[in-house]
Order: sequence, then structure tokens, then C-alpha cells
Amino acid sequence: MLSIHAYKRQEPLQWSSGLILLGAVALSLGASALLLKLHGKPALGGISILFSGAFGSLWAIEDCLIKAIPIFLCSLGVAIAFRLQIWNIGAEGQFALGAIGATWAALSFPEMAWYGLLPLMAVAAFLLGGLWGLIPALLKLHMRANEIIVTLMMNYIAILLLDYLVYGRWKDPLSFGFPMTPEFSPAAIVGKIGTTNLNWGLVVCLVTALMIWVFFRYTRLGFEFQAAGENVRASRYAGLPYRRLVCLAMLLSGAFAGWAGFLEASATINRLQPSIMVGYGYTAIVVAWLARLNPLTIGLASFLLAALRVGVENLQLDLQVPAAFGGIMEGMILLTVLAGGFFMEYGLRLRRSP
Amino acid sequence: MTADTPLISLEGISKAFGAVRANQDISLAFRAGRIKSLLGENGAGKSTLMSILAGRLQPDQGHILVDGQHQVFRSTQDAIGAGIGMVYQHFMLVEAMTVTENIFLGYPGPLVIDPSRMENQVAELAAQVSLNIDPRARVADLSMGEKQRVEILKLLFRQNRILIFDEPTAVLTPQESEQLFEALRQLAAQGKAIVFISHKLDEVMALSDEIAVLHKGAVVADMDADQIHSKAELAQLMVGREVILQVERDHLEARQRVLNIAGLGDDALKDIDLELRQGEILGLVGVAGNGQKPLVETICGLKRPGRGTVRLMGQDWGSFFQRRRWDGNLAYIPEDRQGLATCRNLSLTDNLLLTTRRGFTVGPWLRHRQAEAKMEELAAQFNINPPNPSLAARQLSGGNLQKMVIAREFFRRPRLIVAEQPTQGLDIAATEEVWRLLLKARDRAGILLVTGDLAEALALSDRLAVMFDGRIVDTFAAEDSEKIGRIGLMMAGSSP
Repeated sequence: MLSIHAYKRQEPLQWSSGLILLGAVALSLGASALLLKLHGKPALGGISILFSGAFGSLWAIEDCLIKAIPIFLCSLGVAIAFRLQIWNIGAEGQFALGAIGATWAALSFPEMAWYGLLPLMAVAAFLLGGLWGLIPALLKLHMRANEIIVTLMMNYIAILLLDYLVYGRWKDPLSFGFPMTPEFSPAAIVGKIGTTNLNWGLVVCLVTALMIWVFFRYTRLGFEFQAAGENVRASRYAGLPYRRLVCLAMLLSGAFAGWAGFLEASATINRLQPSIMVGYGYTAIVVAWLARLNPLTIGLASFLLAALRVGVENLQLDLQVPAAFGGIMEGMILLTVLAGGFFMEYGLRLRRSP
Repeated sequence: MTADTPLISLEGISKAFGAVRANQDISLAFRAGRIKSLLGENGAGKSTLMSILAGRLQPDQGHILVDGQHQVFRSTQDAIGAGIGMVYQHFMLVEAMTVTENIFLGYPGPLVIDPSRMENQVAELAAQVSLNIDPRARVADLSMGEKQRVEILKLLFRQNRILIFDEPTAVLTPQESEQLFEALRQLAAQGKAIVFISHKLDEVMALSDEIAVLHKGAVVADMDADQIHSKAELAQLMVGREVILQVERDHLEARQRVLNIAGLGDDALKDIDLELRQGEILGLVGVAGNGQKPLVETICGLKRPGRGTVRLMGQDWGSFFQRRRWDGNLAYIPEDRQGLATCRNLSLTDNLLLTTRRGFTVGPWLRHRQAEAKMEELAAQFNINPPNPSLAARQLSGGNLQKMVIAREFFRRPRLIVAEQPTQGLDIAATEEVWRLLLKARDRAGILLVTGDLAEALALSDRLAVMFDGRIVDTFAAEDSEKIGRIGLMMAGSSP
């Protein structure tokens, strides 16, 4: 009788870890095709519609890039907290608070010039998002509250707060009762790059990612983050300010998600309304894991998951599959990638059992 | 098989990890109805031996005999088949399940199960050995003592004949320990062979029928308990006296005071007074678990002092650790080099930076390249093998990792060094190197050497302090041969 045994790898995998990732994504695509088949839809045709919808035209690729912006920023934030092994799954709520902060600035100072207003909106989004991230950190440090539960619960509070504002205080009197704020003044809208549909938020993302990469690679504080995330006991031994690091990580984590909310409200929707919440904060978690927390890889992974969203929208139109299909695929990708993580640590070996 | 044949016996078992000989030619017999204690310091080879018995490791040499027959344990399954069961320090229970479910877990049985019948079976078994437990209770709701009873019942249910307990009282209250001993005696009376692993002398003396002492991987004594007259004798055997290595040590003039502890006390420490000067090594000896760990943690800033004062380099504990400079200060070489002193997945350079990062900082930037060059230099100077700064810490052997930690801590040019079991698990050559390094560091630093190895303390120390039950029993000069002769007694608790 042959049987399969797992053994722990002594050396970490090099290039073949990329193969494992590709295999995981392929497996989840295969499962999705099967799901389409069970639904009575063409399986391979569906997958090809998915791809052509996302990459088939310049317009589609632009759409992918635009959707990648909020995912990218949220994911950068999430990855900072994950580096310290703080499980922040509250990017969604921090995103909402950022949008609220930016909207507050835009509605309060409609007359201000763009070079004053946009930075003010960015600062407001940074602070509110960061504060929303800092609360769970303080609760964790002082009351040992589990940050997973707290950040998750605070997402619901944040969304309700956003609803309260757009249904109430900030509601546009001219909106015929729809829950939305008035449109932002032109000075409060992040503009488009040249003649493309892309907005300058994309540049913000790339610069932020580069800064985070430099921060982790070349600064002392970045090193302290990495060491503390690696081994909490060793960080105490080495006199690292662990508590301060946790606070800073959650502050930055929330702040970047807040920026995503700012850009989405300003550049994409031009106002605040409930439909701004489409789950980018949760997708960001998938992205962070796919990219193994590397800020530059996160850019690529955000683009791919944004492409999945765009592709599924296309699939929805062409094949009448339910909207939830996109969520299912995203979930399957995360599951297969996490399961693939097993093969990064372990190898398999066939053995003849006695 | 005669009535006298041991259930299990070990013949000439040896096991080496690289150059470290964890077990050397060990022969022991475990008989039905007897409680046998295995006594030894951390690193004496107890856990290696137990892993061999449990089938997790295969010996390099020697045999295991079950009921007088040769048998090879290729896996844990083979050991279980031979009737060997272990109760580990960390319980292997499913917290969310009931006592009964835990006991039946993994036990082959019919497809359809009958919970109430199972519970009755467990209750019956528990009554037979008078281990009081509610079969329906959830494991998460049980005390440590009760959880341990579940572990024992698990083994009994599988008809194990040899029960091995690894430091079973470490997690128990005194009353629970008493109850455990009662249960162990009863189990022995029912014909089980009990193996009791511990470094607590009192318990071993109170419980055992036979006592075997391990020291540096070898059995140094194996006898009936009534042949042993005092705890001091056991303590002496445990820490050993033979000096394998000789290092040159000349007398230095003790200078500035770097550590001063007065009246330090908390739940584990009692009224500690200690003083250390530059130019001397103070050997702190005692059986492990008598307060050395909390004392070291307090000195090194991991634990806030309770009563009394702790002053380092003339500064108060609080202000010292608030300001802490990276160099010219305190260096701590902990016993746990993998879990505490290093990050296993980070490179050697990053591990160098762990405590010296302030020395490589310019503004917000960290000068990695400079640190890497320094690490290369240290690797050459301290004989760290392989001398590759980009290797991860986990890729180094124990001895080389220890040299890496020492190199890093010495590079900080400390004036106070706390070295905890610095040569544990190292081979002779590495031990000698570490000793020389410590003696050299004495030129500019005061060294607190915490060790369970008396030979090491005697070879290196200028003064010795003996710890027992959270207090320092006595402090004396290393030349005081009369006091040195009484160290064993002091470690067992008698006054100086």
C-alpha cells in the first residue's frame, strides 16, 4: 500500500512558491467554472467572458485600474497591521470613516480652492480612519479585547454612521429623497490624469506603496515592526516599544483605508452615498494575503482582484449569474491560496506503508 | 518471562545530535509495581530519553526490550502498542469536548456510539483507581489537576502498562500534587510501572521506589530510594562535580559596582540581597525553579521589581530601563536562545540589529549594509559557522546560534552581563569557547552567571551564591573550600 506523507521543508521555497500561487488561482477558477456548469451556464465560455470583460478593451482595463485604487490603499493598510500579527479586518469601517471625514471637509468648505481643500480632505480622512483603527488597538492593549472581533464589529458601526449622515444631516435637499449628499464642489474632486479616465489617486497609491516599501526596508522603525511581528517575546527582550508599535500600526492601517474612502468619494462618486460601501475593505484582506504582505506585490494583486470584480460584472450582464458570484470566487481564491500555504511549509512524499 | 523481568528495559541507549551527545550508553529497567524517578537538570537528556521510549526518536545505538524481548520502535504507534503511555506537561486534550469524549477520542470502536454507556465506562474506570472526575464535564471547565486525571484515564483506558509523567507537578497546586501522588501509588500497587520525571528533590524522595539520576546525558546513579540518605546527596549527583574542562583564570581587582539589589521580594523571591562589581563573575547556582528565573527577569527589565530596590550602574531600575542605552550597558544572554534572544526567521544581520539597532541608526534610517559588514566581522571573530550573515537564525546549530548571541551582546561592550545556562546543549569545544569568552569579558564587565552546572560555576566564578526557595542561602568566595563542600546541602535547603 502506498500512502502519502507530509514532511516539513527545511529550506523555504524560492521560485516554485509562485507556481503554487498560480496553481491555487487556477484551482479556484476551475471550481468557478464547475459552479457555472452546475448553474446550466457554459463553463469555459463563462471564464472567457470573465477574462475579456476585464482585459478585453482599454476601457475595461481603465475600469480595473480605477477599482484597484481603493483596494490597493486598504490592502497596504491591512498589511501593515498584519506584519505585526495584529489581525485588522476593519478596513471596511476605516474606509467608511475616511469617506466621512473627506465629505465633512468638502461640505464644510465648498468655497475653498482645490490646493487647500484636497489636502484638508486627505488629512481629515487620514485622521478619522486612523482613529477608527486606533480604538481597537487601545482596547486590545488595555482590556485585552480581541482585535478581530472589535474591528469587525466596528465596521457595522461605521456603516450605520455613514447611513445616519446621508439619510439625515448631510442629505441633499434636491435629491428627491435619495440618501446622498450634494455633489462636491469641483475643487473637492480629485481630477483625471490627462485624457484618460484614470484619476490622480492612482499616483497617490503608487507613491504610498513605494514609501511603505522604503519604510520597511530602510528605516529603523520599519525594522522594529518586522522584528516585533516575528517574535513578540524577542521584541520585549530587545526593548522594542511593542505597545507603541501596535498603536502606530493600527493608526496607519486605518489611515490608509481612510484615504481609500476619500479617493472613492471624491474621484469616483463625487459625493457620499451608501453605495460607496462595496466591500473593498474585505477584498483588501484577500489581496494582502495573496501578496504575502509585500507592498509592491499588493499593487499587482489589487489589480487582479479589481479585474475579477470587473469581469464578474460582465459575466452578470452576459450570462445573468447572480451578483454574489463575484464574492464566491473571491472567497474561493482566498481559500485555495491559504490552503496552498501548506505546500510552502510542507512537501509531500509517497511512502510504502508496512 | 519471569515475574522479575522488567516490563521495559533500555540497554546501552545512545543518541547524538550533531556533536552534542544527548544520551550516552543509558541502561535502565522499569518494573511492574514500581515508581521510578528520573532526576536531572534541564538539558541532562531526560526528554531525549523519553522521546526514544515514546517512539518519536530512534536511538543511534542500543536496544529496547519489552517483556525481555528485543523490539524496535519505529513510530509512536509501536510504543503505544508496547503499552507505553505518556502524560506530557502540556495536556493533549480537546478543550471543547467532555471528559468522556476525550477519553474515547481516537479509540477504535463501533460506528454507532452510546454516550451514556461510554460515560458509565469512564465512571467505572475512574472509581477503580479512585480518580475523582465527572465524566460529563467539559474539559475547558476543569482545573489543571483534573485535566491531568483525564490524561491518566486516557492511558488506563488503553491498557497502558507503563505510565510516564513528564514534570507532572509543574502545573499543580500542592494539594493536587498530593492527590496525584496518592493516585500514582495506587496505580503502582495495581501493577503498573510508573516513570516520574522531575527535578524537584522533595517529590522524588517522597514518592519513588527507585531513583535514577541523569547528568550530561549519562546515568550517574540508579538505585533503590532507601539507599539514598539525603536530598543533598541527590543534588550533588544532579549537578555533578567532575571538572572536565580547565580554563586559566587569574584574579582581577573588582572595581565599580554595576548591580546592587537590596531586599528584593515578590511572590517568588524572598528578601534578595546581591552585589556585583566590574571584574568579577558571580556564579548563581541552585536547582532550577528556585527563583533564578524571576530574579534574572527582574534584573534584565522583563519583570518589574516588587519590594526592595534594584540598581543598575548606579541608576534606579525604573529610570535605567526607561533610558536604556544600547552600548556600554547591560547585556543579557538568555537560556532560551531560539525563542527569546533571536527571531528564528530573520537573518543573522537582522538578529544582530535586534539589540544593537541604535548603533546603526542615522536619523530614521537603518544602515543595513554596515550591520552586515559588522556581522561578517563578528562571525569570523567568534567562529560562527557558517559565517553567512544572510542565513536565517533557524539555520544555525544551537552552539553557533549561542555564539552569535554572545557575539552580539559582547559587541555592545556591556558593563553588566547576565548569562543564563550559557553552555547548555553545547558540545565540549563550544563550551570551552564560551567559557573563554566570558572570562575575557570579565575585564570590563561584572558577570552574573546563572547555571545548573556546578562544574561550570566552579570553573568560572570569583564568588558563588546559592539559591533555594526564592532566597539566596549564602554568598561566598570561590576559594572557600569548606563552603563549596556544603553547596549540595544548601541547594537542598539546609542553612549554610
